[in-house]
Amino acid sequence: MQLLQKFKRGNSKKSHSKGHANYAYTTARVRAMKSKLLPKETYPRLMNMSIDEITRFIEESEYKEDVDELARQYEGVDLIEHALNRNLAETFTKLLNISDGDVNFLIGEKLKKYDIWNIKTILRGKYCNASTEEILDAIVAAGRLSYTCLSDLAAKATYEEVISELANTEYYPILKNYDGANLSEIENKLDKMYYTGLFAAVGGSKSKDRKLFEEFTRMGIDIKNLVTLFRLKKSGITDSESMDLMIEGGLKCKLKETERLMPLSFADFVSELENNPYWDVISDVVKPDMSSLIDIETRLKQHRLKSAASFSHVYPISIVPIMDYMLSKQNEISNLRIIIRGKAANLEDDVIKEQLVI
Amino acid sequence: MVTEAVTTMDPAGLKAIGAGLAVGLTGIASALAEKDIGSAAIGAMAENESLFGKGLILTVIPETIVIFGLVVALLIR
Repeated sequence: MQLLQKFKRGNSKKSHSKGHANYAYTTARVRAMKSKLLPKETYPRLMNMSIDEITRFIEESEYKEDVDELARQYEGVDLIEHALNRNLAETFTKLLNISDGDVNFLIGEKLKKYDIWNIKTILRGKYCNASTEEILDAIVAAGRLSYTCLSDLAAKATYEEVISELANTEYYPILKNYDGANLSEIENKLDKMYYTGLFAAVGGSKSKDRKLFEEFTRMGIDIKNLVTLFRLKKSGITDSESMDLMIEGGLKCKLKETERLMPLSFADFVSELENNPYWDVISDVVKPDMSSLIDIETRLKQHRLKSAASFSHVYPISIVPIMDYMLSKQNEISNLRIIIRGKAANLEDDVIKEQLVI
Repeated sequence: MVTEAVTTMDPAGLKAIGAGLAVGLTGIASALAEKDIGSAAIGAMAENESLFGKGLILTVIPETIVIFGLVVALLIR
Protein backbone atom coordinates (compact mmCIF):
# COMPACT_ATOMS: atom_id res chain seq x y z
CA MET A 1 0.00 0.00 0.00
CA GLN A 2 2.72 2.42 1.07
CA LEU A 3 4.88 1.43 -1.87
CA LEU A 4 1.96 1.99 -4.21
CA GLN A 5 1.33 5.41 -2.70
CA LYS A 6 4.99 6.33 -2.94
CA PHE A 7 4.90 5.30 -6.58
CA LYS A 8 1.86 7.47 -7.19
CA ARG A 9 3.47 10.39 -5.39
CA GLY A 10 6.63 9.98 -7.41
CA ASN A 11 4.72 10.01 -10.68
CA SER A 12 2.77 13.11 -9.89
CA LYS A 13 4.10 16.08 -11.83
CA LYS A 14 3.28 18.66 -9.21
CA SER A 15 4.57 16.54 -6.39
CA HIS A 16 6.64 18.50 -3.90
CA SER A 17 8.35 15.38 -2.66
CA LYS A 18 11.58 16.34 -0.97
CA GLY A 19 13.41 13.05 -0.89
CA HIS A 20 13.07 10.25 1.59
CA ALA A 21 10.18 10.62 4.02
CA ASN A 22 10.22 8.87 7.40
CA TYR A 23 6.46 8.54 7.82
CA ALA A 24 6.63 5.42 10.01
CA TYR A 25 9.10 6.98 12.46
CA THR A 26 7.35 10.35 12.68
CA THR A 27 3.81 9.03 13.03
CA ALA A 28 4.78 6.47 15.71
CA ARG A 29 6.64 9.15 17.65
CA VAL A 30 3.77 11.59 17.27
CA ARG A 31 1.31 8.96 18.52
CA ALA A 32 3.51 8.41 21.56
CA MET A 33 3.52 12.20 22.06
CA LYS A 34 -0.25 12.26 21.73
CA SER A 35 -0.58 9.69 24.50
CA LYS A 36 1.11 12.21 26.79
CA LEU A 37 -1.56 14.87 26.22
CA LEU A 38 -3.87 15.49 29.16
CA PRO A 39 -6.88 13.12 29.14
CA LYS A 40 -10.28 14.78 29.01
CA GLU A 41 -11.06 13.71 32.60
CA THR A 42 -8.35 16.13 33.75
CA TYR A 43 -10.32 19.28 32.90
CA PRO A 44 -13.18 18.79 35.39
CA ARG A 45 -10.50 18.05 38.00
CA LEU A 46 -8.65 21.25 37.12
CA MET A 47 -11.90 23.18 37.38
CA ASN A 48 -12.16 22.17 41.03
CA MET A 49 -8.65 23.36 41.88
CA SER A 50 -7.50 26.79 42.97
CA ILE A 51 -4.98 28.76 40.88
CA ASP A 52 -2.08 27.63 43.05
CA GLU A 53 -3.08 23.99 42.69
CA ILE A 54 -3.43 24.32 38.92
CA THR A 55 -0.04 26.03 38.75
CA ARG A 56 1.52 23.18 40.71
CA PHE A 57 -0.27 20.61 38.52
CA ILE A 58 1.11 22.24 35.37
CA GLU A 59 4.58 22.52 36.92
CA GLU A 60 4.58 18.79 37.57
CA SER A 61 3.31 17.81 34.13
CA GLU A 62 4.91 17.86 30.68
CA TYR A 63 5.36 21.62 31.02
CA LYS A 64 7.84 21.37 33.89
CA GLU A 65 10.89 22.26 31.84
CA ASP A 66 9.21 25.33 30.34
CA VAL A 67 8.01 26.58 33.72
CA ASP A 68 11.51 26.12 35.21
CA GLU A 69 13.07 27.93 32.28
CA LEU A 70 10.79 30.97 32.51
CA ALA A 71 10.40 31.11 36.31
CA ARG A 72 13.06 33.81 36.61
CA GLN A 73 11.31 36.22 34.22
CA TYR A 74 7.64 35.80 34.99
CA GLU A 75 5.43 34.79 37.86
CA GLY A 76 1.86 33.63 38.55
CA VAL A 77 -0.57 33.35 35.68
CA ASP A 78 1.80 35.07 33.25
CA LEU A 79 4.41 32.42 33.96
CA ILE A 80 1.97 29.62 33.11
CA GLU A 81 0.80 31.34 29.95
CA HIS A 82 4.35 31.90 28.71
CA ALA A 83 5.31 28.35 29.65
CA LEU A 84 2.37 27.02 27.63
CA ASN A 85 3.33 29.13 24.61
CA ARG A 86 6.94 28.09 24.91
CA ASN A 87 5.94 24.44 25.11
CA LEU A 88 3.81 24.80 21.97
CA ALA A 89 6.70 26.37 20.09
CA GLU A 90 9.13 23.69 21.32
CA THR A 91 6.76 20.87 20.42
CA PHE A 92 6.12 22.09 16.90
CA THR A 93 9.78 22.83 16.30
CA LYS A 94 10.48 19.31 17.50
CA LEU A 95 8.05 17.97 14.90
CA LEU A 96 10.02 19.82 12.24
CA ASN A 97 13.29 18.42 13.60
CA ILE A 98 12.24 14.78 13.80
CA SER A 99 10.62 14.66 10.38
CA ASP A 100 12.34 14.27 7.08
CA GLY A 101 11.69 14.95 3.39
CA ASP A 102 8.05 15.03 2.42
CA VAL A 103 6.64 14.97 5.99
CA ASN A 104 8.93 17.82 7.00
CA PHE A 105 7.81 19.85 4.00
CA LEU A 106 4.11 19.38 4.80
CA ILE A 107 4.54 20.14 8.52
CA GLY A 108 6.54 23.24 7.56
CA GLU A 109 3.74 24.40 5.26
CA LYS A 110 1.21 23.93 8.05
CA LEU A 111 3.42 25.76 10.55
CA LYS A 112 3.67 28.79 8.29
CA LYS A 113 0.53 29.80 10.11
CA TYR A 114 2.75 30.68 13.06
CA ASP A 115 5.28 32.52 10.90
CA ILE A 116 2.43 34.61 9.53
CA TRP A 117 1.01 35.06 13.03
CA ASN A 118 4.39 36.33 14.27
CA ILE A 119 4.90 38.69 11.35
CA LYS A 120 1.39 40.04 11.96
CA THR A 121 2.14 40.45 15.68
CA ILE A 122 5.34 42.37 14.95
CA LEU A 123 3.60 44.64 12.43
CA ARG A 124 0.73 45.24 14.85
CA GLY A 125 3.24 46.00 17.59
CA LYS A 126 5.00 48.53 15.39
CA TYR A 127 1.63 49.99 14.39
CA CYS A 128 0.72 50.81 17.99
CA ASN A 129 4.29 51.63 19.08
CA ALA A 130 4.62 48.71 21.45
CA SER A 131 8.00 48.05 23.05
CA THR A 132 10.22 45.17 21.89
CA GLU A 133 9.49 43.26 25.13
CA GLU A 134 5.75 43.61 24.67
CA ILE A 135 6.00 42.27 21.11
CA LEU A 136 8.24 39.40 22.16
CA ASP A 137 5.74 38.42 24.86
CA ALA A 138 3.11 37.78 22.19
CA ILE A 139 5.37 35.81 19.85
CA VAL A 140 5.06 32.03 19.51
CA ALA A 141 8.10 30.87 17.54
CA ALA A 142 6.59 27.59 16.35
CA GLY A 143 7.24 28.01 12.63
CA ARG A 144 10.30 28.04 10.45
CA LEU A 145 11.32 31.55 11.56
CA SER A 146 13.41 31.09 14.69
CA TYR A 147 12.95 33.05 17.93
CA THR A 148 16.30 34.79 17.39
CA CYS A 149 15.27 35.89 13.93
CA LEU A 150 11.89 37.11 15.20
CA SER A 151 13.41 38.99 18.14
CA ASP A 152 15.77 40.71 15.69
CA LEU A 153 12.73 41.75 13.69
CA ALA A 154 10.89 42.95 16.79
CA ALA A 155 13.89 45.05 17.79
CA LYS A 156 13.73 47.08 14.54
CA ALA A 157 12.59 50.65 15.02
CA THR A 158 10.02 50.96 12.23
CA TYR A 159 7.81 48.71 10.13
CA GLU A 160 9.77 49.63 6.99
CA GLU A 161 12.90 48.10 8.50
CA VAL A 162 10.97 44.97 9.47
CA ILE A 163 9.65 44.57 5.93
CA SER A 164 13.02 45.20 4.28
CA GLU A 165 14.51 42.55 6.58
CA LEU A 166 11.93 40.09 5.23
CA ALA A 167 12.82 40.94 1.60
CA ASN A 168 14.12 37.45 0.88
CA THR A 169 11.06 35.67 2.15
CA GLU A 170 7.94 34.63 0.25
CA TYR A 171 5.90 37.12 2.30
CA TYR A 172 7.65 40.13 0.79
CA PRO A 173 5.42 40.55 -2.33
CA ILE A 174 2.47 41.11 0.02
CA LEU A 175 4.31 43.00 2.74
CA LYS A 176 5.80 45.55 0.35
CA ASN A 177 2.30 46.96 -0.23
CA TYR A 178 1.99 47.86 3.46
CA ASP A 179 1.87 51.63 3.84
CA GLY A 180 1.39 51.89 7.59
CA ALA A 181 -2.40 52.13 7.44
CA ASN A 182 -3.78 49.12 5.53
CA LEU A 183 -2.81 46.54 8.17
CA SER A 184 -6.05 44.53 8.06
CA GLU A 185 -5.88 44.23 4.27
CA ILE A 186 -2.30 42.94 4.46
CA GLU A 187 -3.25 40.52 7.23
CA ASN A 188 -6.09 39.09 5.15
CA LYS A 189 -3.79 38.68 2.18
CA LEU A 190 -1.20 36.90 4.32
CA ASP A 191 -3.85 34.49 5.64
CA LYS A 192 -5.09 33.77 2.14
CA MET A 193 -1.53 33.22 1.00
CA TYR A 194 -1.11 30.63 3.75
CA TYR A 195 -4.04 28.60 2.45
CA THR A 196 -2.97 28.98 -1.18
CA GLY A 197 0.46 27.66 -0.19
CA LEU A 198 -1.07 24.77 1.69
CA PHE A 199 -3.24 23.78 -1.26
CA ALA A 200 -0.30 24.07 -3.63
CA ALA A 201 1.65 21.74 -1.35
CA VAL A 202 -1.12 19.16 -1.21
CA GLY A 203 -2.67 19.61 -4.64
CA GLY A 204 -1.68 17.58 -7.66
CA SER A 205 -0.96 14.47 -5.66
CA LYS A 206 -3.18 11.49 -6.31
CA SER A 207 -2.39 9.61 -3.14
CA LYS A 208 -5.36 9.10 -0.86
CA ASP A 209 -3.67 10.30 2.32
CA ARG A 210 -2.94 13.66 0.70
CA LYS A 211 -6.53 13.92 -0.43
CA LEU A 212 -7.61 13.29 3.14
CA PHE A 213 -5.22 15.99 4.33
CA GLU A 214 -6.71 18.34 1.77
CA GLU A 215 -10.20 17.47 3.01
CA PHE A 216 -9.04 18.15 6.58
CA THR A 217 -7.70 21.58 5.56
CA ARG A 218 -10.84 22.41 3.60
CA MET A 219 -13.00 21.53 6.55
CA GLY A 220 -10.91 23.92 8.67
CA ILE A 221 -11.67 26.66 6.13
CA ASP A 222 -15.40 25.87 6.24
CA ILE A 223 -15.43 26.18 10.00
CA LYS A 224 -13.39 29.37 9.97
CA ASN A 225 -15.72 30.92 7.37
CA LEU A 226 -18.80 29.87 9.29
CA VAL A 227 -17.48 31.37 12.53
CA THR A 228 -16.58 34.61 10.72
CA LEU A 229 -20.04 34.68 9.17
CA PHE A 230 -21.69 34.19 12.56
CA ARG A 231 -19.61 36.99 14.07
CA LEU A 232 -20.39 39.33 11.17
CA LYS A 233 -24.11 38.59 11.36
CA LYS A 234 -24.13 38.97 15.13
CA SER A 235 -22.61 42.43 14.88
CA GLY A 236 -25.14 43.32 12.18
CA ILE A 237 -22.76 43.64 9.23
CA THR A 238 -24.48 42.93 5.93
CA ASP A 239 -21.99 44.67 3.69
CA SER A 240 -21.00 42.52 0.70
CA GLU A 241 -17.46 43.91 0.95
CA SER A 242 -17.00 41.65 3.96
CA MET A 243 -16.69 38.77 1.50
CA ASP A 244 -12.99 39.69 1.46
CA LEU A 245 -12.76 38.13 4.91
CA MET A 246 -13.88 34.74 3.61
CA ILE A 247 -11.33 32.17 2.59
CA GLU A 248 -11.73 30.29 -0.67
CA GLY A 249 -11.59 26.53 -0.96
CA GLY A 250 -14.06 25.25 1.63
CA LEU A 251 -15.11 21.60 1.61
CA LYS A 252 -18.89 21.71 1.92
CA CYS A 253 -19.75 25.41 2.05
CA LYS A 254 -19.20 27.11 -1.26
CA LEU A 255 -18.38 30.81 -1.45
CA LYS A 256 -21.49 31.48 -3.58
CA GLU A 257 -23.66 30.17 -0.78
CA THR A 258 -21.83 32.38 1.73
CA GLU A 259 -22.29 35.35 -0.61
CA ARG A 260 -26.03 34.65 -0.66
CA LEU A 261 -26.16 34.63 3.16
CA MET A 262 -24.13 37.83 3.53
CA PRO A 263 -26.91 40.46 3.12
CA LEU A 264 -29.33 38.68 5.51
CA SER A 265 -30.10 39.78 9.06
CA PHE A 266 -29.11 37.50 11.96
CA ALA A 267 -32.62 35.99 12.36
CA ASP A 268 -32.98 35.29 8.61
CA PHE A 269 -29.44 33.96 8.52
CA VAL A 270 -30.22 31.47 11.30
CA SER A 271 -33.38 30.24 9.59
CA GLU A 272 -31.47 29.81 6.30
CA LEU A 273 -28.79 27.80 8.09
CA GLU A 274 -30.94 24.66 8.17
CA ASN A 275 -29.61 23.74 4.75
CA ASN A 276 -26.03 24.19 5.89
CA PRO A 277 -23.94 20.98 5.95
CA TYR A 278 -22.87 21.75 9.51
CA TRP A 279 -26.41 22.26 10.77
CA ASP A 280 -26.38 18.89 12.61
CA VAL A 281 -23.38 20.01 14.64
CA ILE A 282 -24.81 23.32 15.80
CA SER A 283 -28.58 22.81 15.52
CA ASP A 284 -29.31 22.54 19.25
CA VAL A 285 -27.37 25.68 20.24
CA VAL A 286 -28.43 28.02 17.43
CA LYS A 287 -31.32 30.30 18.32
CA PRO A 288 -32.41 33.54 16.65
CA ASP A 289 -32.17 35.40 19.98
CA MET A 290 -28.87 33.97 21.22
CA SER A 291 -26.63 36.42 23.06
CA SER A 292 -23.28 34.71 22.79
CA LEU A 293 -21.58 32.76 20.00
CA ILE A 294 -19.33 30.78 22.34
CA ASP A 295 -21.48 27.65 22.21
CA ILE A 296 -21.42 27.59 18.43
CA GLU A 297 -17.68 28.14 18.20
CA THR A 298 -17.03 25.44 20.80
CA ARG A 299 -19.28 22.98 18.97
CA LEU A 300 -17.60 23.62 15.65
CA LYS A 301 -14.14 23.24 17.17
CA GLN A 302 -15.21 20.00 18.82
CA HIS A 303 -16.52 18.74 15.51
CA ARG A 304 -13.21 19.54 13.85
CA LEU A 305 -11.23 17.74 16.55
CA LYS A 306 -13.47 14.69 16.30
CA SER A 307 -13.20 14.51 12.53
CA ALA A 308 -9.43 14.96 12.72
CA ALA A 309 -9.22 12.01 15.11
CA SER A 310 -11.36 9.83 12.87
CA PHE A 311 -9.43 10.91 9.75
CA SER A 312 -6.21 9.92 11.46
CA HIS A 313 -7.41 6.33 11.81
CA VAL A 314 -8.11 6.01 8.08
CA TYR A 315 -4.47 6.43 7.07
CA PRO A 316 -2.38 5.75 10.16
CA ILE A 317 0.93 6.17 8.37
CA SER A 318 0.46 9.52 6.69
CA ILE A 319 0.50 13.24 7.44
CA VAL A 320 -3.04 13.16 8.88
CA PRO A 321 -2.25 11.75 12.39
CA ILE A 322 0.45 14.42 12.71
CA MET A 323 -2.07 17.16 11.88
CA ASP A 324 -4.48 15.59 14.35
CA TYR A 325 -1.82 15.76 17.04
CA MET A 326 -1.04 19.40 16.23
CA LEU A 327 -4.71 20.30 16.53
CA SER A 328 -5.10 18.41 19.82
CA LYS A 329 -2.00 20.04 21.26
CA GLN A 330 -3.21 23.51 20.32
CA ASN A 331 -6.54 22.70 21.89
CA GLU A 332 -4.97 21.45 25.12
CA ILE A 333 -2.96 24.64 25.44
CA SER A 334 -5.94 26.84 24.70
CA ASN A 335 -8.04 24.92 27.28
CA LEU A 336 -5.38 25.29 29.97
CA ARG A 337 -5.12 28.99 29.18
CA ILE A 338 -8.88 29.42 29.40
CA ILE A 339 -8.98 27.70 32.80
CA ILE A 340 -6.06 29.59 34.31
CA ARG A 341 -7.08 32.99 32.91
CA GLY A 342 -10.71 32.39 33.85
CA LYS A 343 -9.78 31.45 37.40
CA ALA A 344 -7.50 34.47 37.67
CA ALA A 345 -10.32 36.77 36.54
CA ASN A 346 -12.69 35.15 39.09
CA LEU A 347 -15.08 33.95 36.41
CA GLU A 348 -17.75 31.49 37.42
CA ASP A 349 -17.05 27.82 36.75
CA ASP A 350 -19.98 27.52 34.34
CA VAL A 351 -18.68 30.38 32.22
CA ILE A 352 -15.24 28.77 32.01
CA LYS A 353 -16.73 25.34 31.23
CA GLU A 354 -18.68 26.82 28.31
CA GLN A 355 -15.45 27.99 26.73
CA LEU A 356 -13.60 24.70 27.01
CA VAL A 357 -13.37 22.45 23.96
CA ILE A 358 -13.18 18.91 25.29
CA MET B 1 27.38 -38.59 -39.20
CA VAL B 2 26.12 -35.85 -37.01
CA THR B 3 26.04 -36.36 -33.30
CA GLU B 4 23.94 -34.19 -31.09
CA ALA B 5 25.21 -33.32 -27.68
CA VAL B 6 22.39 -33.43 -25.18
CA THR B 7 22.90 -31.33 -22.10
CA THR B 8 20.64 -31.84 -19.15
CA MET B 9 20.68 -29.94 -15.93
CA ASP B 10 21.44 -31.76 -12.77
CA PRO B 11 18.21 -31.81 -10.66
CA ALA B 12 20.34 -31.10 -7.62
CA GLY B 13 21.35 -27.77 -9.19
CA LEU B 14 17.72 -26.78 -9.79
CA LYS B 15 16.94 -27.66 -6.20
CA ALA B 16 19.81 -25.48 -5.01
CA ILE B 17 18.55 -22.54 -7.09
CA GLY B 18 15.03 -23.03 -5.67
CA ALA B 19 16.34 -23.16 -2.14
CA GLY B 20 18.43 -20.05 -2.76
CA LEU B 21 15.43 -18.16 -4.14
CA ALA B 22 13.25 -19.25 -1.20
CA VAL B 23 15.67 -17.85 1.35
CA GLY B 24 16.76 -14.81 -0.67
CA LEU B 25 13.33 -13.51 -1.67
CA THR B 26 11.80 -14.05 1.75
CA GLY B 27 14.82 -12.32 3.26
CA ILE B 28 14.13 -9.26 1.10
CA ALA B 29 10.44 -9.38 2.02
CA SER B 30 11.27 -9.50 5.74
CA ALA B 31 13.66 -6.61 5.36
CA LEU B 32 11.04 -4.45 3.63
CA ALA B 33 8.47 -5.23 6.31
CA GLU B 34 10.87 -4.70 9.19
CA LYS B 35 12.19 -1.40 7.86
CA ASP B 36 9.07 0.59 8.66
CA ILE B 37 8.19 -1.31 11.82
CA GLY B 38 11.72 -0.86 13.16
CA SER B 39 11.79 2.87 12.52
CA ALA B 40 8.31 3.25 14.02
CA ALA B 41 9.42 1.30 17.10
CA ILE B 42 12.45 3.56 17.50
CA GLY B 43 10.21 6.60 17.16
CA ALA B 44 7.82 5.38 19.85
CA MET B 45 10.73 4.39 22.10
CA ALA B 46 12.29 7.85 21.78
CA GLU B 47 9.19 9.24 23.48
CA ASN B 48 8.47 6.42 25.89
CA GLU B 49 11.24 4.02 26.87
CA SER B 50 8.88 1.49 28.38
CA LEU B 51 7.79 0.56 24.86
CA PHE B 52 11.13 -1.18 24.26
CA GLY B 53 9.76 -4.71 24.85
CA LYS B 54 6.70 -4.26 22.65
CA GLY B 55 8.73 -2.53 19.96
CA LEU B 56 11.26 -5.35 19.86
CA ILE B 57 8.60 -8.03 19.56
CA LEU B 58 6.70 -6.19 16.83
CA THR B 59 9.92 -5.54 14.92
CA VAL B 60 10.86 -9.23 14.73
CA ILE B 61 7.40 -10.51 13.78
CA PRO B 62 8.10 -10.28 10.00
CA GLU B 63 11.13 -12.46 10.70
CA THR B 64 8.67 -15.37 10.40
CA ILE B 65 8.58 -14.80 6.64
CA VAL B 66 12.25 -15.58 6.23
CA ILE B 67 11.96 -18.49 8.65
CA PHE B 68 9.26 -20.00 6.42
CA GLY B 69 11.61 -19.45 3.48
CA LEU B 70 14.36 -21.25 5.34
CA VAL B 71 12.03 -24.15 6.16
CA VAL B 72 11.01 -24.42 2.52
CA ALA B 73 14.68 -24.33 1.48
CA LEU B 74 15.47 -27.18 3.89
CA LEU B 75 12.49 -29.21 2.62
CA ILE B 76 13.64 -28.80 -0.97
CA ARG B 77 17.11 -30.10 -0.15
